[in-house]
Parts: sequence; C-alpha cells; structure tokens
Amino acid sequence: MREKLAEIKAIEEDAKAQYTHTVNVCTAAGCLSSGAAQVKEALGKEVERSGLERWCQVKGVGCLGLCTAGPLVEVESQSAMYGHVTVEDTPAIVGGLNTKPVERLRVPTGTPFFLRQNRIVLENSGRIDPERIEEYIAAGGYSGLVTALTEMTPAQVIDEVTASGLRGRGGGGYPTGLKWTTVAKAPGPDKYVICNADEGDPGAFMDRSVLESDPHRVIEGMILAGYAVGASQGYVYVRAEYPLAIEHLKKAISQARRMGLLGRSVAETTFGFNIDIRLGAGAFVCGEETALIASIEGKRGQPRPRPPYPAEYGLWGKPTLINNVESFANIPPIIRNGGEWYASLGTEKSKGTKVFALAGAITNTGIIEVPMGTSLQEIVYEIGGGVPGGGRCKAVQTGGPSGGCIPDAYLDNPVDYDSLRSLGSIMGSGGMIVMDDSSCMVDVAKYFMEFCMTESCGKCVPCRVGTVQMYRLLDKISTGRATLEDLALLENLCDMVQNTSLCGLGQTAPNPVVSTLRYFRDEYIAHIEEKRCPAGVCKIHSSVAQTDSPSYAVAEVAQ
Amino acid sequence: MADNVTLTIDGKQVSAAPGMLLVDAAEIANIEIPVFCSHPKLDPVGCCRMCMVEIEGPRGSRLMTACTTPVAEGMVVHTNTPQVAEVQEANLGFILLNHPLDCPICDKGGECPLQDQTMRFGPGISQLVEPKRLKQKNYDISDMIVLDQERCVLCWRCIRYLEEWEDKPQLGLHNRGNETVIDIQDGQPVDAKTSGNIIDICPVGALTNQISRFAYRPWEVERTASVCNHCSVGCNIRVDTRTHTVRRIIGRENMQVNDQWICDKGRFAHAWVNGENRLETPLLRKNGELVPVQWSEALDFIAEKLQAVKQQHGASAIGAIGSAKIGNESNYALQRLFRSVIGTNNIDHRDGADVAGLATGLPSLAGVMKPQYGPNPQVDTIFLFGIDPSEELPILDLHLKRAVKKGGAKLIIAHPRKIELTRYNGPYLAYEPGTEATLLNGLLRAAAGQKEGLNSTAVSHLADVKKWTEEADDRALADLCRTDPAAVKAAAAMLAKSEKALIIYGPQAARGSDGPAIRDGLANLAFLTGHQDRLAFVGLEANSQGARDMGVLPDRLPGHASIGSSDAVKRLEHLWECKLPTAAGQSYKQMLDGGVKALYVMGADPASERPEWAEKLDGLDLLVVQELYLTETAKRADVVLPALGWSETDATFTNLERRVQRAPKAVALPQSRAAADWAILSHLAQKLGAKWHFADAKALEAEIGKAAPIYRGLTWEALGDQGLQWDASALKSKPELKEVRQKMAKGSKEYPLTLVTGTVLFDGGTLFGATEKLDGVTVGPVVGLSPADATKLGLTEGAAVAVSSPEGSLSLTVHISEQVQPGSAWIPESLPGAPVGALLNGSVVQRVKVEKAA
Repeated sequence: MREKLAEIKAIEEDAKAQYTHTVNVCTAAGCLSSGAAQVKEALGKEVERSGLERWCQVKGVGCLGLCTAGPLVEVESQSAMYGHVTVEDTPAIVGGLNTKPVERLRVPTGTPFFLRQNRIVLENSGRIDPERIEEYIAAGGYSGLVTALTEMTPAQVIDEVTASGLRGRGGGGYPTGLKWTTVAKAPGPDKYVICNADEGDPGAFMDRSVLESDPHRVIEGMILAGYAVGASQGYVYVRAEYPLAIEHLKKAISQARRMGLLGRSVAETTFGFNIDIRLGAGAFVCGEETALIASIEGKRGQPRPRPPYPAEYGLWGKPTLINNVESFANIPPIIRNGGEWYASLGTEKSKGTKVFALAGAITNTGIIEVPMGTSLQEIVYEIGGGVPGGGRCKAVQTGGPSGGCIPDAYLDNPVDYDSLRSLGSIMGSGGMIVMDDSSCMVDVAKYFMEFCMTESCGKCVPCRVGTVQMYRLLDKISTGRATLEDLALLENLCDMVQNTSLCGLGQTAPNPVVSTLRYFRDEYIAHIEEKRCPAGVCKIHSSVAQTDSPSYAVAEVAQ
Repeated sequence: MADNVTLTIDGKQVSAAPGMLLVDAAEIANIEIPVFCSHPKLDPVGCCRMCMVEIEGPRGSRLMTACTTPVAEGMVVHTNTPQVAEVQEANLGFILLNHPLDCPICDKGGECPLQDQTMRFGPGISQLVEPKRLKQKNYDISDMIVLDQERCVLCWRCIRYLEEWEDKPQLGLHNRGNETVIDIQDGQPVDAKTSGNIIDICPVGALTNQISRFAYRPWEVERTASVCNHCSVGCNIRVDTRTHTVRRIIGRENMQVNDQWICDKGRFAHAWVNGENRLETPLLRKNGELVPVQWSEALDFIAEKLQAVKQQHGASAIGAIGSAKIGNESNYALQRLFRSVIGTNNIDHRDGADVAGLATGLPSLAGVMKPQYGPNPQVDTIFLFGIDPSEELPILDLHLKRAVKKGGAKLIIAHPRKIELTRYNGPYLAYEPGTEATLLNGLLRAAAGQKEGLNSTAVSHLADVKKWTEEADDRALADLCRTDPAAVKAAAAMLAKSEKALIIYGPQAARGSDGPAIRDGLANLAFLTGHQDRLAFVGLEANSQGARDMGVLPDRLPGHASIGSSDAVKRLEHLWECKLPTAAGQSYKQMLDGGVKALYVMGADPASERPEWAEKLDGLDLLVVQELYLTETAKRADVVLPALGWSETDATFTNLERRVQRAPKAVALPQSRAAADWAILSHLAQKLGAKWHFADAKALEAEIGKAAPIYRGLTWEALGDQGLQWDASALKSKPELKEVRQKMAKGSKEYPLTLVTGTVLFDGGTLFGATEKLDGVTVGPVVGLSPADATKLGLTEGAAVAVSSPEGSLSLTVHISEQVQPGSAWIPESLPGAPVGALLNGSVVQRVKVEKAA
C-alpha cells in the first residue's frame, strides 16, 4: 500500500507540474453562497477561451479561511489571493496570469490573519481538491495510517495520541488518549467509533469547514481510532443542514473504499473498518454524546444519565469512542509526526492548535487555526483585524450557548481550556463571537437562553421548565418590566438549573446569564432600575426612541 | 454473588447488594427519597431530578440522582441537607408551574404522589407566576384510558412500562423542550392488553381510568384485597367499593403471581358485578313460564323432582355440572351433594373430563411468574403448545416476554395460529388442528436423533420410539401437519439442549377424543428430553385448577384420587357418612349429549355452546340452573336459582400454578335474594335429608382440607392475602413412553378450510359484555383468514360472508390476518351473536367453507 500511495503522489505531482498555473477557487459553503461556483465555471471557460488549458488548471479547493472576502480565488504561481471575485472579474484574472496579478482584486496575504496562523488541522484546506483522494494522498494523507497499521501496535497508536496531549476539541477538553485507552480496555468484541459532526453552536462552523475542505483527514483519523481501540465500524453523525459536507464525506468514503483504505481489509492488512454516515435532523442536543447515540439507534434524540459513559456502554450498548471532527482531524498529523511534535505546540495543559470560527463584529470573519495559548487580544485585534470601523470590542463570546462572554479587560488572557474556564466561559467547539458597544448583554443572554429553551429536549424537569422561566425573566428585564427580586430569582434559577439538569445542555444553559451578570451586572441594573438599555438594543416602553437598531450579530450569525 | 457493599446514608450504615441503586438502598434504611420518574419495576431514566442527593467525593460533595447512581463501597450520602431541600423545592416549583392543580376534580387526588410530595418537600409558595402551558385535556388514548397532558409531569413511567414490560412502544414523547407531551403514536390507540397498569403507576392524574372516571374518591372507598376471576393466572387485585358497587379495580402486588400488574379485562370489565338484569329471586316454571317463587318452594320442588327421577331411572340418570368460574367451596359442595346424597359420579365441568389435563398445573411457573430481571431465569426454554397467552392469560404473556427479553429464555411455539408471541423468533410450529399427535411424534422423532441432552432412562427405549414415530417423517409434517420440518428439528434440538424447559399446553390442544393421545405425546417428548417434571396443563378459567382439585370430574374424587382408590373412598365415606357410587360417571359432553334425565347446572351455559345441546336440554325431566343471569340455558330450566358471584361472597380460587387464593366478599346486594352457590346446595342437601351444617365458606374450607389431603392446612386464615400453593410432589407419576397414534380427519373438497377456534381476551362473554364502555374493543363476529386465502376467495377486509360446516352455518365478516395460517379459518369462541359451536356442534376438528354472503 505504501508503494501505491507513493505512486499516486508521483502521478499527482507530475500532473501538477504540467501546468504553469493553478487557479484555486474556494468552493466551501461560505464562498459558494456568494457565487464561487459561477466564478469557477467562468474561470474555466475563460482559460479555454484564451487557449491556456494546457498551461493552466482551475481547481475547486476547500476553505481558504477569509470567508468575509468570498468568493476567494488564489493563483499559486503568482502568490496572489483575490477576494470578492465576480464572474466579470474572470477575464482580468486569466488575462493577468502571464503578466501580473490584478491588484484591485487582491487580498493582502502578508497580514496577521495569514501569518499568525499555524495550520495543522487546516493544512490542506484551500490547498487540495476535497473531492479527490489523490490530492489528499499527494499531500501526505493516509501515510500515517499505513505506518500505524504496518509498524505500530494499537497500544503504540494510543501512546502517540496520549503523548500528544490532545484534548477533546468538541469543547469538553477530556484527554483524547485517556478516552481511547478506556475504550480499548473495555471488554467485548464489538466496539464503535463515532465522529460527532453535529456542530450546533450558533456562530460555529469549524467542523463544517474541515469536512468540506479535507474530509479524508477525518476518515483517516477515524480509521486510526478504530485500529487503536479495536472497532470495526465507524459512524459520522453529521447534521443534515451541511449538504456540502455530507456530499464530500460520502464521496471521500467511497473513494477510500475503492482505494482499499476502508473495508474488510484496510490497506491490505487484516484490520477491517467501515464508515457509515448518519444524518442528524438539526436538534442541538444531539451533539451531546448519549443523545447522539440514541439518535443513531433510531430513538428520540435525548441524553441519558452518565455513568455509564459511552466508552463502556455506548452505541447498541457496546463500548463506543466518540470524538468530534476536529479531534479526529488532528490524529493523522500526530501519527505522522509523532505525539511529541504535537505536544511541543500550545501551552502546558492545552497542547497543539485550535481552530476558531470568527464571527460577529470583526473585520476578518472566517476560520483560523492558532496555537493554544494565543491571546484573545491577538485573535481579535491582529488576526481578526479588530472591530470594523475601528470600534471597541466590548466582549468576546466563546463556547456558544454553553459558554460565556469575556469582556474587553480580560482579552490579554491566553486561550486555553483552563484559562477560559477561570474567566467564566469555556473553550467550546471554537465559535468566537465578537461584540462591540452596540450589543446589549442582557439581549445576548436572552438570545442564548431562547436558543437553549428551544433546543431543550424536554426530558428533565429543570432544563425543560427552567430555561423557559429564565427566558421569561430575561424578557421581563429586557422590556423594563422586571424588579430586583426578579433578578434574584433569575440568579437562583441559574444555580438550580446548573446543578440539577441531566445533561450538559441544561447544566450550562445558564452560563451566558451567569457570565454576563458577572461582568455586566450594571447593564442589568440599568434595565431594571432606570428602565434603560445602555446599548440601545432593547425596546423599553415607548419612551425609548430606539426603533430600527439592528438586533445584531448574534442573530445574524445564528443563520 | 459478590459481597454486599456498605455505605452511609444520613449517618446510617447500610449494607446493599452491589449494583443496587441508591434510591433502593435508602429504602432499606427506611430513608425516603422523593421520586416521580423512578419506579422499582422500571429501568431508571433520571428525568424528574426529584431524587437528587449529595454524595461526598474527593472534590467535595456533588448532587447526584439517587435513582441512577449505583451504590459503592464507602459511599457517603446525604439526603437531608439544606442544598438537597433547596433542590427539591426548586424542582417541585418547576413541576407545579405547569401542573393545572385541578385536584378537586382529579381522580388521583387523595392518592397522588405529586400532592404528597408537595406537602412534604415542596415550596410553601410559588415564586413563579408565569402562565401555565395549555395542552390537551380529557384526551382518550384508548377506550379505557384518558390522558390529561396538562397534568402530566413527563416522568415516562407509562412509556417505559409499555416498552419494558409489554414490548409495545405505543406511547412516546412528542415535540421538544417545553412543548414536550406524551402522546400515542400516529393516532393509533394504545391496545396493549395490560395497558391499564400505566394508570396505577402514573404519579399524577395524567392517566385516568375511563371506566371508573369520577366514580370514586380514594378516601371514600372500601378496599378489599382479592383475586381476579377472569382467567387462571389469579392476579392479585384490590376491589374498591362504595354503596354496594364496585367502583374500580387496581393491581395488588404478589411477586409469586402477577408482580403488581393486571390485565385490562381484569381491571375494567367489572360492571357485571351487581350489574343490571341480575337474577334476584328464584324462578319456577309454571304453565310454561318462569315465575318468581320463594326459596322454600323452589328447593322443595327440586328435591321432590330429583327423588322422583332417582326412583324412576336410578341415580345414574342424574347429573351435575359445576363451573371453573366458581370458587372451590361451591364446587366442592356440588360434587359432594351429587356423590354422597344423590349417589352418582355424573359430575363434570366444561373443559373437565373432555380435556386431557394433567392434575398438577404448572409445576414451576413461579419461576416464570417472578420478575425475570436477568441473570437467573428459572427455566431457559418455554414450549407453548396450543396456547396463546397473549389472548388467554395476559399476565403470563407479560412474564414470558420478560423472561425472553430480560432473562434470555427461549420460546418455542406450536399453535395453529401464528400467535403474537411468535414475534420473538423462536421456532414456530404451525399445525392443522387434528394433527397434533403427529406433530408431537415428529418432535419425538427429531429429539430421538439428538446426540446429547436426552433422559438416560428414556434413551433405553430409543429403538421403540424410532419405530413408533417412523411415519411422522418430514413429509408427513409438511403435508399433514403443515409444519416446517426444519422448525421441528430446531425445536427438538432446543428442548434436548435445554437445562430446564417448561412445556405448557392448554385445553385447546387437548380437547376431545384425541386429547389423551396429545397429552401422552407431550409426556413422551418431555420425558425423552429430560423435562418430565415441568410438563404442565393450564386451564383457562379462574378456577380451572380448583374445579379439578375439588373432584368436579366424573372419574376423580377431591384431591385427584381415582374413584377406585380405596383409601380415598374410605376416607370420604367416613367423612361424608355415605356409600359412594363406584361406577365412573358421564363427562360434560356425555351428559349434554343426552346421557341423563335430570341435570343440575351451576354456572355453565351449554345451551349457547351448541344448538343441539339446547334442544336436548328442553327434553330433560328436570333442569335446574344456578346462575347470575338468565342465560340461554337458564331460559330452558324448570327452576332457576339466583346465585351470588365473585366478590359477592367469600370464596377461594386455585390458580394455574396451584396457588389457592382468597376472593372475599366485597359488595352486598341488599335488594337481592340471591345466595351463595354452596349455601343453596347446602339447603338442598338438607331438603334431601342430609345433615349439612355449613355456616360459612370457612366451614367448607375446613372440610375440603379433610377430603383432599393436598388442601390440608389451606384455611382462609392461613392463605392470607398472598395465597398458598399446594404441593404437587405427591401426585408425581412415574414417567413412561407410550405409543401414540392419531386418526387423521379426511380432507374435503367441499369444505376446503380447517376451522381454528380459541379464546380472545375481549370476547362477547357475559362477564366482559356487561361493561358497555368496552364495546369498542370487543372482537366482533369475524372470521379470520390468511391474506393468501382471502385473495384466493376474492374477499376483502370487512366483507360479509357465510361460513358453513356440515353441521351448520354462520354469518360473519372477514378479518384478514397474518396470524391465520393458509388453509385455515379462525373464529374465536364466545363472539357476540356468533357461537362457533354452531359449526362444531360438539366436534373438535371441523372443516368449513367461506362464501360471499348472498
């Protein structure tokens, strides 16, 4: 198999070398939605029209990161990246191929957005055509798998993962090596590997991007996991709202099967592994692992009490390894380069890099990957380019509905699991929403509470009833009908719902309220006592002149 | 078994089995942890969050749900800290927020866990003043159960009961979050046969009893611990009465019988007790009309007539029919009266001597009846032969499902219909009625071919066995029995391999002239495969076992002694101060076929079974009927005596595993002059010159203990409210192998289908039919056909047809069912207006044709 991979790599490189120019068009969901498909088609026609087809190839690639400037086109030979490209721009781009780049379309690439990133998970994003396994192989893909299957024992694979210090990228931060060890040690012949691709946090789209841009990386990670823990069947649980990710994943699975990398004999060894896709119907709670398992089993998607953890009693009652997309995507490079290499990145307790989705009041909306420990300051103001128009960043919301808002004053803190927790938020899966002074923190808390209330599965009492009550109290506050007693009741409810809910959804649902109360209590008080919304977002009686102020980023991002 | 673990709850040391849930361990220590979703008979779900307790850990104490947390060694638990109290208050606050608090008009009020816990653990006032959510109220989820979605606290007990016990997920959660409601699936009503149990376990008034709705307040009813009289399982129940009427029936725990569950017939079909049209006074035929008379006149008339018939035709011209629906005392009194005072053995009951039943009943049913939570089922394989527990014995059905699902037991089923329990994919042996013994020979032949697992004594006769069973080869099985030979082989292998198999057969498979051959065939199979001690016959009526035990049989005395047994005869002649008749008596069928001149019928209605019998009854010199209602048979009687039924008089019933249980008087009928069956018989005995002095049922029980040694000590007081089992070990006989042959009925071109009959739970019988609210679920006059036969005959669902046999014809509607095997027509017994007896007319195997109604 190693020879086969080498051969494919050689053929790919030869093929690429035939072309003087390679024009990469981002065809991930963000750029597609702003017309990338038409741009790609027009570029192809333009190349043909110019008679350049033997010298120039136009290629669809995965996410180039700077979604805000989509559709993005990159000309490798000219090191030029073009943004906001339209069909009308294509003759100029093709015309400039043999002369000089089209300056008016260029997106500067010497900025911190590109220079400060350290792309491991995203190493192939925007570089390869996600629909062709050959390009993944040419980029070094599946070589780690072949090495593991032929030269390493399952225990050695787990050792590398443990040595890497990788922690669960779904947000929990549980040491991945430890989870793998537990599943590997669990008795019984039938085990499962599940990839959690039910990304549901408002404002988070990292996993979607990885699946769209480099699906084979996730598949390779899952196969390695299967080998390490002794499973022969894997499932990717992906939300049905990600049609492109699903399409790429399906294609990738069938390609891997044809290539002999999935199936009864993976890479010509005695190890067999298969992957099937299961679609989620958009219930946020199905990202919770026990609810996800119930959903795969065809039951109502709702969590059950843990223990037992899925590692012991998971899908169909069998030991099951569940990791999220980004965790699996980290595995191939860890195996390829060694756990020690990975552990050299990041901080003492949070190793490696983390992918974030930047959204909200930020110039460079998009996907970034930075080493753990990078400060929020750097992410927001340097990589992210700050608030559009040079305004002040009021707070950064991390961790989605389970997370919290970190105010401006704390932005110099490093981003890692423990420091975010100490600030009253969480790492979460990597959504990062930047807010400026036009955001009302009561409104933000209310938005997230409404989200949790709607997404509560209804199984346990505190979450089912408590989120509704907290939402109603927040609504009362935001409309100026609340008293200080209501605020006290709200705080009490936060405590009860946190302490008594069955699963993470309910236990963390009060977090946005708790963290905004911690840092922005004065805004709550202003609503209650002065009947005034300092940000001018909430409509309080008729006395407040606010009318059409856009109720802002969070709502938009949620789309 | 691992050692117990020791933990501390509120400072008390508690020793508990490993794996036990904290909530149960606390109960051992007598510490109450409030719960809604948790239920000792259901798997934990942990959704109500009411049972949160503090558990000490390395990083401080944590709040955990006691209903999902197993005990651990050294665990330290607090259930009474301020934090726990705060959580309980908050949780109740949440629950009450959406609860309508319509307690004054809620049937649950007064026995409502939500009320009780709110008083004990709830907040004094509500801080939450938000509007309540509005959902469906008074919403029928079946003809028997009403759902109120507003009262529901979403504890899932009903969902889990239907899933875990019934294996019928007919209720589910719909919508999400605050909009979540419990509802039926796709508009299909809940039709599990034990659905009513969800009413008992509902911790609020969300599920209420349609039949008993608004008919009681829990604190106003009188509660009587009793047993159900609808089938032979003998479920323990509580009868709640007020003002001389039964207000409702609920399940009562007896871990040896029904756990705490009862079926819907037992729960809902009780309107017949003290119902309308009950007989209230004796009736005597004068000038062709039945007219009310005094007891003395009626009894004098009967005594005189009986003596006249005896003088003219001899005692053997007099017969008596008892009833498996009536308690032991009255059946005992009946056979004693006719044996000792009249001097005849012409004593039987329906499905008595005409069915080849074994005396012992289920030998180890307790092993199946006890909840099978898993690791140690007492039997590993259950072979059902000609019995359909889902329709006939619903709580046995529940236990069997549990044994299969949780206990890993295997099911083998032989039945002419593909009954519901075949869904567990054990071998299913379909057979044509009339070929049972051939099928059993085929099984025996296949078992004889097994290399291991056979009884060592029986093995020495293998050559004989192989010779007798030669004809029951694969071809005979396939062509005659219409059984899959591969399934027969698989079943035989399973029986041989099984360590402990239970073989159960019912009256349907052992009726008529072939009955003894079928019984012997089963005995052969049980013996050869090493399960001879666990072959069981179950009657279907509440006192089928008791009627046999009491000697309401033409050839058996009380206690199953043969009429020729000198010990028993001596004992009884001394006890009864008489000379016993020595000749065997006539069976139920023989008496009704015209073998007697005078017939005394207690609680039976042969006239409605078979037209020919009805005619014959008209021609008797004397017909006395002791009944609750003016049945078809009673209408033909010379004297009708009004009897008190179940729940109206003290009685004991013996269930299918020989458990004798009390069914005490729970209601009085002040306006009625009816009397207990045994009391009527007592008075009649006195009129006939015997010295009977039974003051009450207890006096009869005392005598039964003397007459039937197996009942010694089973007095009313000793039975208590859980009953006692009589010991069958004395009745064990030496197993032997017998050659079995069965004459095959000939096929017929004119009548191409074989008639299959049997019992359905919701039939049109007197006891069920009296509860009018259940009309909707009653099985109508239908004939079941396989899809293949329906297509062949060009019939669709609901088509009106005439079904005829050489004996008669019935007008029915077609019901197409996958359960019905091709080549057969299924007509249940006791359907309203359609007695299948018209087609059978006394035969057991009958062929029929189905034609479109003109």
